[in-house]
Amino acid sequence: MALTAKSIRKDFYRAGKNSNIFTAVQMLDLELEQGKMIEITGRSGSGKSTLLNMLAGILNPTSGRILLDEVDLYALDDEKRSRLRNEKIGLIPQGHTALLGLTVLENVLLPAVLYSNGSAPEQRAADLLRQVGLIEMDNEKPNALSGGELRRMAVARALLMQPKIILADEPTAGLDEENIISVMGLLRNAADDGAAVLLVTHENEAAQFADEILHMDGGHFI
Amino acid sequence: MVSLRNIPIKNLKSNPGKTTAILIFTALMAAAVFGGTLIVRGMQQGLANVRTRLGADILVTPADAKNEFDAQTFLIQAEPGYFYMDASVLDEVRAVEGVDKASPQLFLASATASCCSAKLQIIAFDPETDFTIQPWIRETFGGAQKLGLLDVIVGANVTVYDDYILRLYNNDCRVIGQFAPTGSTLDNAVYTNFETIKVLIDSSFDTKLNKCQSFDTNDVISSVMISLKDGYDAENVAETIESTISGVSTATSKKMVSGIVESLNSISGTVRAFIVIFCLLGTLMTVLLFALMISERKKEFASLSIIGASKRILYRMVAEESAYVNLTGGLLGIILSAVLILGFSNLIGQKLEIGFALPDAGQITIFALFTLGLVMLAAILSALIAAKQVSSPDTGLILKEGE
Repeated sequence: MALTAKSIRKDFYRAGKNSNIFTAVQMLDLELEQGKMIEITGRSGSGKSTLLNMLAGILNPTSGRILLDEVDLYALDDEKRSRLRNEKIGLIPQGHTALLGLTVLENVLLPAVLYSNGSAPEQRAADLLRQVGLIEMDNEKPNALSGGELRRMAVARALLMQPKIILADEPTAGLDEENIISVMGLLRNAADDGAAVLLVTHENEAAQFADEILHMDGGHFI
Repeated sequence: MVSLRNIPIKNLKSNPGKTTAILIFTALMAAAVFGGTLIVRGMQQGLANVRTRLGADILVTPADAKNEFDAQTFLIQAEPGYFYMDASVLDEVRAVEGVDKASPQLFLASATASCCSAKLQIIAFDPETDFTIQPWIRETFGGAQKLGLLDVIVGANVTVYDDYILRLYNNDCRVIGQFAPTGSTLDNAVYTNFETIKVLIDSSFDTKLNKCQSFDTNDVISSVMISLKDGYDAENVAETIESTISGVSTATSKKMVSGIVESLNSISGTVRAFIVIFCLLGTLMTVLLFALMISERKKEFASLSIIGASKRILYRMVAEESAYVNLTGGLLGIILSAVLILGFSNLIGQKLEIGFALPDAGQITIFALFTLGLVMLAAILSALIAAKQVSSPDTGLILKEGE
């Protein structure tokens, strides 16, 4: 399974006295292949996260197409695109993204209960929490976790459904050396198991794990 | 463990402040709608009961009974009293054109003294001619109830403690039944036949607790209940009676309930205004608070979106959260007002100074369902407005907010 971006561009309208358009990503092509881990680096505001969100199907490109194999993500209706994301794409977004009413373990299990009434894969969720060093906190509420712990929880959640595509936006931000290695090891393992992995980061820790490193600036690869 | 079904409840629990505030406003709204409707209907029911139980078109009383009998308030706040006129008035009334049936009644009030169980209005009817109390007896007891000497039937508010015996002027009267509530002063009375009341009146003279001069009980009556022939106007016949029979005054049933009707209109108007105000305020507050709560959790919904929750799932969650909190608040409000109104219906009737009778269980259930329907409308409105907060086409933009 491959995720391909074809000539995608994203414009944002800037509100203000003299409204104008800011192009975050400019006519860009990219292909994520199975078993490969690509790292995109670049300074803040270079368009990395915008690109990743478009690839994940949660930000409409202004032009161009995103293909998951032969399926155009943005040609699908919301229901089909969401379901496809649930089954095939593991997304680790920037920031803290947890449901505060659920425990850590329940947050990790969330992707498995959206479309299934069967029993949730608690054992796999527990294994992932163990691998990211959070098994002792499985019954805590997200408010009890630090920023770094929330990032690790998001990594475990993204890997739960064994996705074919993994998109990670600054997955190691705020983590210490040991946890960076642990998280990167998990993503590397996923790639070795056949997933296509894309990392967006402005740090260098991921370089030793990636198969390919791309640099981005002004919405272009350079 | 977590499931799509229990996520909305867990979400509500994680926002205890706003959830409680919404619960309180919804409960207040439901209590106002359900309680207000119950009170208005209770007053209407009370009026209907009084009209039915009054049963006569015209009531004839002695003209000098003004201190004891006020037609406007007799049915809702009368103190036990008694007055008498010559029994020959009955025949004179029967002779008036338009009168179909005329039946005498004889009154006595028991005393707050050791000879009596309590101060009560005693009303005696003539079983041969009565057309107002006997239908009530038949309806209550499922057939004619023969009253023997010293047998009585009591109104709903009369409490009988000692083995169905009511002591009246040193006579132990046997209580053979109790009427259902009407919400009027009729509930405070004791009903018996002429034979019994004559014994009681004689005893009242013996105890020297009767304010009147001693008289032969065969020669007096207290009132005449009149039923008119079809086509005759009660006001006209009442006027004829007053002008042709000396020493009597009349009260039409319309005049007797007019005080209740006026109070009913005034109170129910006020209650309805309160219902509308509480409904509007309650809806506004629940919608605002719910929209605010969802807005503050936009990022949580975005988190659901990135793991693959479709808009349909997000809307469902919002709708379920809204339904759970509004339904719970609505039920709390209904239960609270039901407990208060059902528990204190007598007190409410007294304070309102109007006939008050609770509707039957079927009607109460309908009011409860109607209230829940209104509360759920507020829930739907809340969900529709809040759904806009989670329906952004670009989840990616929500995630970037505040970064």
